[in-house]
Amino acid sequence: MENVGKRGKECDMADYNLSRLNFLIVDDNKHMRALVKSILHALGVKSILEAGDGADAFKELRHFPADLIICDWSMSPLDGLDFVRMVRTGTDSPNPFVPIIMLTGHTEMHRVMEARDSGVHEFLAKPISAKGIYSRIRAIIESPRPFIRAGLYFGPDRRRKENPNYNGPERRKTNKGEVEGSVNSISDKLKEPSADAKAADDGGGGDGGETPELSQDEINALLNG
Amino acid sequence: MSDDSEIITPPTNLQSKVQKGGPGAVDLDAIERAEQVIANLADDYINWAKEDLVKLEDAYKKLKEGKGDQKELLQGVFNVAHDMKGQGGSFGFELMTAVGDKLCRLVEKLDKVGPKEIEKIRIYVDAMQVIISRSLKGDGGSEGKQLLMGLEVMVQKS
Repeated sequence: MENVGKRGKECDMADYNLSRLNFLIVDDNKHMRALVKSILHALGVKSILEAGDGADAFKELRHFPADLIICDWSMSPLDGLDFVRMVRTGTDSPNPFVPIIMLTGHTEMHRVMEARDSGVHEFLAKPISAKGIYSRIRAIIESPRPFIRAGLYFGPDRRRKENPNYNGPERRKTNKGEVEGSVNSISDKLKEPSADAKAADDGGGGDGGETPELSQDEINALLNG
Repeated sequence: MSDDSEIITPPTNLQSKVQKGGPGAVDLDAIERAEQVIANLADDYINWAKEDLVKLEDAYKKLKEGKGDQKELLQGVFNVAHDMKGQGGSFGFELMTAVGDKLCRLVEKLDKVGPKEIEKIRIYVDAMQVIISRSLKGDGGSEGKQLLMGLEVMVQKS
């Protein structure tokens, strides 16, 4: 960063030119699509395609070379999680590695874990802001993650932080020596797909309890170990 | 994590397509402009919210009359309230998000409704109507606080 100074930390937000990236916005609410599109335009994005649900978006991906997808969770008939799983693990998926930001009002911990376990890169809590959207895009640019195939999971590495004190065995097979013996770990709560996530009601209705919702900062802290 | 996990390097990453700095790069002004775009959409938001409120009133009316599949109608109420919750704060109407959330929390637990639940739903829908008709942006100021406190009291009583 060249101009860090008077405005301090805020300047950390300033830097990337997004004009060459292709964005796909997936939301069944046209007003939210319009909002996200307007924000992206103002951030200098030129190429944006919209889709009204997961099935539509999957079709669009066949001919639109999306570099990044911003996807709502609550959609019908195919919701955001179904869509992410199709993109990641569908045999006919045109782009299984595409980074996905999940946009949602569901911010209870088990929901965040559920989204992470479906293979999203980032999670953005509503209400959305320009700063919030850009910070998630920036995180994806700056921290490209390897993909992991483990059991039923295929998606970006869910273990983001290296733990230099980790003494346990490396349980992954490396692919073409990419990892070169380095070991990663993360706090226990993020090590395995959460039991909560598996047990969660995926009906779009409720979780049946008073699970507290998390703030964006809490979500980031949780996802970053 | 299974023993058979495999690490794969994606064929591309975004860094190859983004340039750092230079003309057109995101800077504080761009962020500011983008936030302004949101502020400018607030008037449109009022009209969209009014459309959503018509849908809410319709579902409420059917619930009250006992017409149709109650679970389906409640899901309909949840969907509209969830949309309004998500949109509200994004367009500068945080109070709408707070009330929308309360309505979501109420109906997500229900499979059917009795007079008590109908009354509670009515209270929340009325509050949402007030927020839009009086254009209570942000947290609604002192009027917003009173509205939220009043809601709590009424919902506890009903």
